[in-house]
This record gives sequence, structure tokens and C-alpha cells, in this order.
Amino acid sequence: MTDTTLVAEHPLLERFPEGVTPDERKGYEGFIVAADRLVEFATALRDEFGYDYLSSVTGVDYLPDGKMEVVYHAYKSTGGGALVFKVQVPRENPVVPSLVSVYPGADFQEREAWDLLGIRFEGHPNLKRILMWEGFAGHPLRKDWKEAYFEEEKKPFGSRWPGGAVHRAEDENPFGKNVVYPPDFDPEKWTPVGDEALYAGLREFKKDDDLKTEQVVVNLGPQHPSTHGVFRMVVTLDGETVVRLEPVMGYLHRNHEKIGERNTYLMNIPFTDRLDYLSSMSNNWGYVQAVEKLLGDKIQVPERAEYLRVIMAEFTRIVNHIFAIGTLLNDLGAYFTPMLYALEERELILDIFEAVSGSRMMCNYFRFGGVARDLPPGVYEKMRDLVFERLPRKIDELDRYLTENEVVRARCEGVGVLTPEEAIAFSAAGPVLRASGVPYDVRRADPYGIYDRFEFDVAVRYHGDVYDRYLIRLDEIRQSIRILQQALDQLPEGDVIFGSPKYSMRVPAGEAYGRVEGPKGELGFYVVSDGSANPWRYHVRAPSFINLTALSRMCEGDKVADAIIILGSIDIVLGETDR
Amino acid sequence: MDTALLIEWLIKSVILLFFGLTGFAYLTLLERRALARIQVRIGPNRAGPWGLLQPLADGIKLIFKEELIPPLADKPLFILSPILTVLPALIIWAVIPWGRQIVIAGREINLYLTDINVGVLYLTAVASIAVYGITLAGWSSNNKYALLGGLRSSAQMVSYELALGLAFLGPIMLAGSMSLVDIVEAQKNLWFVVPQFLGFIIFLLAGLAEVNRAPFDMPEAEQELTAGYHTEYSGMKFALFFMAEYIKMIAISAIAATLFLGGYRLPFIDLPPILDPVVLFIKIFVLVFGMIWVRATLPRLRYDRLMALGWKVLLPLALVNVFITAVIMVFTG
Amino acid sequence: MLTNWLYVGLFIIVALVLPAVTIIVPRFIAPKKPNRIKVDVYECGIETVGEAWVQFKVQYYIFALVFLVFDIETVFLYPWAVAFDKLPLFAVMEGVLFIALLLAGLVYLWRKGVLEWA
Repeated sequence: MTDTTLVAEHPLLERFPEGVTPDERKGYEGFIVAADRLVEFATALRDEFGYDYLSSVTGVDYLPDGKMEVVYHAYKSTGGGALVFKVQVPRENPVVPSLVSVYPGADFQEREAWDLLGIRFEGHPNLKRILMWEGFAGHPLRKDWKEAYFEEEKKPFGSRWPGGAVHRAEDENPFGKNVVYPPDFDPEKWTPVGDEALYAGLREFKKDDDLKTEQVVVNLGPQHPSTHGVFRMVVTLDGETVVRLEPVMGYLHRNHEKIGERNTYLMNIPFTDRLDYLSSMSNNWGYVQAVEKLLGDKIQVPERAEYLRVIMAEFTRIVNHIFAIGTLLNDLGAYFTPMLYALEERELILDIFEAVSGSRMMCNYFRFGGVARDLPPGVYEKMRDLVFERLPRKIDELDRYLTENEVVRARCEGVGVLTPEEAIAFSAAGPVLRASGVPYDVRRADPYGIYDRFEFDVAVRYHGDVYDRYLIRLDEIRQSIRILQQALDQLPEGDVIFGSPKYSMRVPAGEAYGRVEGPKGELGFYVVSDGSANPWRYHVRAPSFINLTALSRMCEGDKVADAIIILGSIDIVLGETDR
Repeated sequence: MDTALLIEWLIKSVILLFFGLTGFAYLTLLERRALARIQVRIGPNRAGPWGLLQPLADGIKLIFKEELIPPLADKPLFILSPILTVLPALIIWAVIPWGRQIVIAGREINLYLTDINVGVLYLTAVASIAVYGITLAGWSSNNKYALLGGLRSSAQMVSYELALGLAFLGPIMLAGSMSLVDIVEAQKNLWFVVPQFLGFIIFLLAGLAEVNRAPFDMPEAEQELTAGYHTEYSGMKFALFFMAEYIKMIAISAIAATLFLGGYRLPFIDLPPILDPVVLFIKIFVLVFGMIWVRATLPRLRYDRLMALGWKVLLPLALVNVFITAVIMVFTG
Repeated sequence: MLTNWLYVGLFIIVALVLPAVTIIVPRFIAPKKPNRIKVDVYECGIETVGEAWVQFKVQYYIFALVFLVFDIETVFLYPWAVAFDKLPLFAVMEGVLFIALLLAGLVYLWRKGVLEWA
């Protein structure tokens, strides 16, 4: 976090005497940049100040002030805290210059902000809806947008039985009747605008080819066995070769953030479980961290809880990576055997999650100021056994079976290469970034919790291909086991939560960005509080979503079979991608 | 042709087809059970003891499934192609010898349907027909995945057919005959896998590719093409493709056993002819199990690498193999 | 000898019964309630765009052509292989030369880049 004195004397203010001012609202940080200076500011930030990694772009609707604000979080890829800058524009017809030319990683995030908040990004190459469908009426994250059968602005609702009768949403949701279209929109006559241009490639002949071959547009997904969910890739194929690839998503969109803004702070913890449903513990941590930042020194996490958090987060990383390796092998066409071998270990770890939290996947374990429960008897021994005996052995076994396999190597090496520069530019995170040779790990670059106490290496590989993205997951599992061994050895006795558990808490007004190194990459939660019981803004920087920005780049020119394994090597979970 | 002969022949045909079908049915079960074991699972075990009725249940289910024909598809070809795929898998059995002569009720009966003097040629010819079925299935569906799968498989199957055809040459040269019975008899004391080891390996690889099994299951390639050439097929038409694949698996194993592993014979031991089919069955079982094992173990090759393997490795190797065999045979007489 | 082929021919006819039955029987017992969405071309749930019957990548066809040449030449080797033991050395050498020519043809194609999958 940058503190206010630092902001006031920041060299950026000298560099931009006009158009850049410190954000002086209470509880806020960073700079407010005038819209017309934004691109210039960002370019300078990237080239002169070393903030080359744009982590998060999102918008906030300040309805009472009549302002729409776009918030950017930039980091140095060498580590350190965030540089936050904001652009404020009027709420009606907000227009902000696009930063895609400076940070290509802003692409999807700006599209998302346009889609959900209606902020128009001038100069964006492909500004169309990304999570909602074309023809959706309005921009749902705007505070004055109300869904069909809107009940109340904030939870907890006044009554669950308004008018004394039980009432169920599904009863008043006859299919199709709850959909509103924009006035000039006819769903029967409409053809997708963006797709039309995309499909035009179908009729293109390759000019330099004396034998005319037509390119075929094929949809891989949404109902496809290996897109890991309802994810769609529109692929233009020249024979077997991918000429163009356009990811299409949003099939699982449920407007997580709007629901999050209706919820109370505490209600959002189980809700984050539903993002990346394979690693709910890490999701919890990211959100809890953001809210704890807002709470500031009103809350201290007890020592034992800090250790438990690390233990659970690292177990989650193992679960996720082992699953990712399994599914990647499945994408390679290995018929489920590696997958099931991997799942066997996953189940053992899920046993531990179940023991501590009562649930195998939707753990809901973290709380503001600690964790929900202490370890039940016997679990500690079980964890020790796993971490010291079984897991290291099993990981070596996986390594032995897969790493040197001829087919795996032939299929993965040199496929889907992402250079370090591209990886940073596209805001790739986690294993995707590190496999490209950028040793950036939030646990080291910007330590949170008690990660600064453990000895571990930031896994890094240098080729940036699918094979390295596979290897780096093995490396990270090994590092996680290392951390776990230390954490289990040092685990102190004591409380697991600060004070007594509370249902609602008073969160001071302000903003906070909590980020953790989730298994899939940097998972950030941007929370704005207006001092009431519900967050004013709740934004998720979803690594599965942002890592996809680089997908087209990685796939073009490769074979169609490669596109599948490249997607597999990014490791997405649609619950998080689509939110 | 006298009636007794005709009846004998008819009974043999029906028995052969019956065994082909049962073999297919239980091979699916074997595969599912074996895969499950390899993958630390149990596999289907509910229908009947040890799941033995599972194939029957699957069959009944498929018969009662609605069959869809896409309106944009080429209907005659769409219906013809599964037939064209399954037929070669069945008729290839006509020349594979299951044993010598046995005597039942004073009548000498050959344990093979027929012994034509160009048996090996017949095998290659029949194997080629299957390409049409798959290609036409892919093309007639008017579906992009199916088209890609169909084109892939045609290119793949013809590529590996060359290596397969050349691998046949070794045993032919050693036996001096294209009749499969002669080839088996020539292996009385020495299986051809010993002098033709390279040929055997080429045959196994090309054979896997020819029946579209992992790691060469490109035409289906579930991960990319959902189901490849049979994406649009449902019900019993789908079952026919499935049947063809599994019967071909058995057939290619039987051919490998016949050409390289002494067919229905054991070396040095003279079993009574009635046990010949058992010997062949054991060899087929071992080879088929190997195929299942490979499927459980290996990921899929990428298409361009598969073609490269066929043209740049297997084909030259097969040619060199023939070349070396010829030279050695000249020098050793 | 001819009777042997007759057997094969008859076997083919008997074998045809099986696919014929599997095609015909479901016509009578399987349900048939097609609707537009059900019989639509499957493309992962998205309406397909354009025809699948397009002028496709030529590479596949080149392989088919090359295959044709090689396959026919391979078949020429079969009679040679059968009669191998009885052939005079000269004929054997001719066969060997033929194989060498095939190899040369393969090398030519290789050099020409036909075998590269673009």
C-alpha cells in the first residue's frame, strides 16, 4: 500500500504537474488522472517508472456524486506495491480513453467495464459485450439498474415473506418473461455483430496460395468436451492450422459482483467459494484480505489463524495444480488415467478441507480476523502424514510417469509460446506468467499474511510453452509442500479468530485491493466501502479471465489440437472466468 | 457344390459372425473393466455377475435410441457409410485360419472359412475399404467436426496402409506364399517375429493407426473434434461404427498373430487340432489387451506428427526392412 | 480355387445381414420424434455458419495422390515376394532395385516438402 505522504511527493506529480492529482478522499489512495492525459500518463508509468504490469482495471459507479470512476492497479514486474490511478468521468455517457495500446492486458477488462458499467473506452479495438449477450438491456453493475423482479437494494431483506406469504423467485420467473430487450432490438432478426466480421474470414481465399483453399470457421464450445466448461472458441481453420481464434465467454455469467454488492460483507465469503470452485480457500483469503485492509488496525489476525490460512492456501494450490495437470493430460488425449491418479491425491486433501470446514469444495473457512474453526482432533497428524510422506512421493511418481513421456514432450514443447514481454503486457498471472520466465509471485513480490517467514523458491521456467506451464505446476507443488512442512512444524497454539465471531461489522469507508497468489494467478478483490453494512463495490480480478487475454496470441499459427492444450495449460475455471 | 458342404460352410459363417459379435461385445466390457482397473476404478459391475450383461444392456439401449439424420446431410451416403465401415471388419475374417482340420462325425472340417491363395492381398484390399466408410461418414454428415475427422482419418489410414502393406511382405517372402494357412504352417518351428522383428514392430504401429486406436485415434480426437467423423451419428448407426472399431481391433490382432506369432500353432508342441482356436484366441487376447493398455497409458499424437511418423519413419523403415530381408535371404539361400 | 472365392462372396452376403438388421430393426422399434433443434448440425450448441462442404485444404488430397502411387508400387512387390525363393538372382536384384527406386521417390517427395504438414 502506498501511504498518503508518499503520494503527495511522488515524482509522478512532478512529471505531470497538470492533470494528475493525489486522491485525497478519506480511505482512498493513488492518483486521479484527467481523462485526456490518461494514455500519456500510462505510457510514462510503464516506460519511465517501471510499472509495466497492469493488474486490474475496473469501474465504480458513484451514483450519489454523479461520477463514474475507472480504477487501475499497476505494479512493477520486479515486485513491490501497487500504484493506483483513477479516471473520473460523468455518469451520463462516460467515455475514457482505452489503455489497450499501452497495456494489452486491459483488453478484456475494459470490455467487461463497458459491458457491466457502460463506460465507453475510446480507441479500444474491439469494444463489445463480453459477459452479457449482445442485446442485453442496460449495464447491470450500474447502481440504478434493477433486475427483473427486483426486491430490495440491500441484504438482509426486510422480510423473506413479504405480504406474509412464502415467495419463490422461480414462481415468478416464467421462461422468457423476465427478459427485457432494448427498444430497437428484435432477438429473432438479430445476428451477432462481432461474429459477422469474424465469420467473414470464411469466404476469404488465401491470396498467396495458388491452390485455393477455403478457411473454415469452427466453434469449439460451449458444449465441448475439452473447453473445461461452457467456454467457446471461435476458430478459423486453414486445414488443421488455426488462423484466428476468438474466445467467447459469459455463458456461466451470473453477475457475481452485483450480487456481492447486495450481500453483507460476511455473506460474500461463502460467495467467493463459487468463483474458482476448485480453490475456494484461496478465494476466501483474497476477499478477507481486502476487507481486513479496510478494517485496518481494528482487527488483528491471531498467529495460529495466520498459519492455518497459509496451510489451507497451499493445500489448495496443490489440489488445483494436480487437477490442472490431470486435465491437461486429458486434453492431450490421455484417456483419464493421469487425471484419475491425480484425483486420488486431491480427494485426500479434500478430506482435510472437509474436516476443518465441513465442506469439500465450498469451504467457507476464512473469516475477518481469522478462520472459522480450529483443527478437529486427528487432522494435524493426517496433514503431517500427507505433507511429509505421501504427497512428495506421489508428486515424484507423477513426474516420473509424465515428464519424460515422448508423446507429452512432442506435443507440448514449443507449443503456445508466450514471451516474457508478452506475458507481462497481457497481464498474464500465476503459472502462465512464471512459465514465461517472469519470476513474479505475489507471495514474494508483495508478501501478505506470513509468507515472508517461509523459505521457498519462486518457481520459474523460461520457454513459455505448454511444457513449461506443465513443469511449473509440478515445481509449485513441490514448493507448496516445502511451505507446508515449515508451517506444520511451526504451527503455534492459540486462538483462531480475533475477538468473538460477529455477524455484521462496521467497515470504515474507503477502498482496498486485496490480492493473493491464487493457484491460477493473482486473484484480486477490489472492495469499496461507503461505511454501511454492504460493500459499495465488490470487484474480482479473476486470473482465469485475464489470462485468457493472451489465448489468441498463443494459438494463432498452431494446430487445432494445440489450441486445446494451450487452453488446458492456462488452466481456467469457468466459474471464475464468467463470474 | 453339394448340400452338405453348403450347410457346413453356412454353419461356419454364422459361427464366425457370432464369434465376431460376441467378441466385439465382450471386448467393450473387457476394455471398460481393464481401463477401470488401470485407473484405480471398478468399472461396470452391476449388470449381471461381474457386469457380464453390460454389453447386452448397452445394445438394447442403443436399439431403442432415436436415430437422427441431419436434414442437410447427404442421406444415402449417411446411411451407407456405417455399413461400409463395419462390413470390411467382418469379411476380413473370411481368410483368417483358426486351426487345421478336425474330424466331426467322420467328416473332415477345415477350421477356416476358406484358404485363398492370395489371402494377404485380400487382407490389404479389404482393409482399404474401411477408409471409404469413415471418409464418407465424415463428409456426408455436413458437419465441420465430422468433415475434419473424416479427412484426417482418410489421410491417416492411407498413410499407414503403405507401411502395413510393406510389413506384410516379410512373412510372404519367408513363407513363399500369400495363403495365410501356408504362412502359419511355415512358422511351425520359428515364429516370424524373430526374423522379422522390425516388420512386426512396424506392423503393430501401423495396425494401431489403421484401426484408429490410441495414440493414433486422431479421427475421433474427442478433445478437439468432439467425436470426429461420427459426431452426427446416433443409435444403432453409431453402434455400427463402434462395432467396426472393436472388430477391427480383434481382426488386426488376429492378423498379427497369424503373420508373426505362429497363428494357431505353438512352436515345437503339436497340440490336437481341436485346441488350435484356443491357441489363436490366447494370442489375440494378449495383443488386444496390449492395445487397451496403450490406450490407458499414452496421450494422443498430434496430427502432423502422426503423418510425419507414417511417412518419414515407418514407410522408409518398412522399405528398408524388405530390402534387408531380400538381401539376407539371397545370401543365406 | 474358384469355389474358395465363392465362399468369400457368399460370406460377404451373409455378413451384410448384420448391418442390414441393425439399420432396419430400429426403424420399427426406435422412437422417431425429430424437431428442428434436435436434428440441427452439432457444433457445440452454436448455430453453424457456412457450409461444411467447402474447398478444403489441398494437403489431404496430395497425400492421397502420393499414397496412390506408392500403394500400387507396393502391390507390384507382392508377386515378387511370393516367388522370391524360386527367382533367379537377376530377378531378385531387379526387385531390390525397384525398392531402391521407391525409396528414391520417397526421398524426392521429402525434399520437395510434400510430406511437411504446413
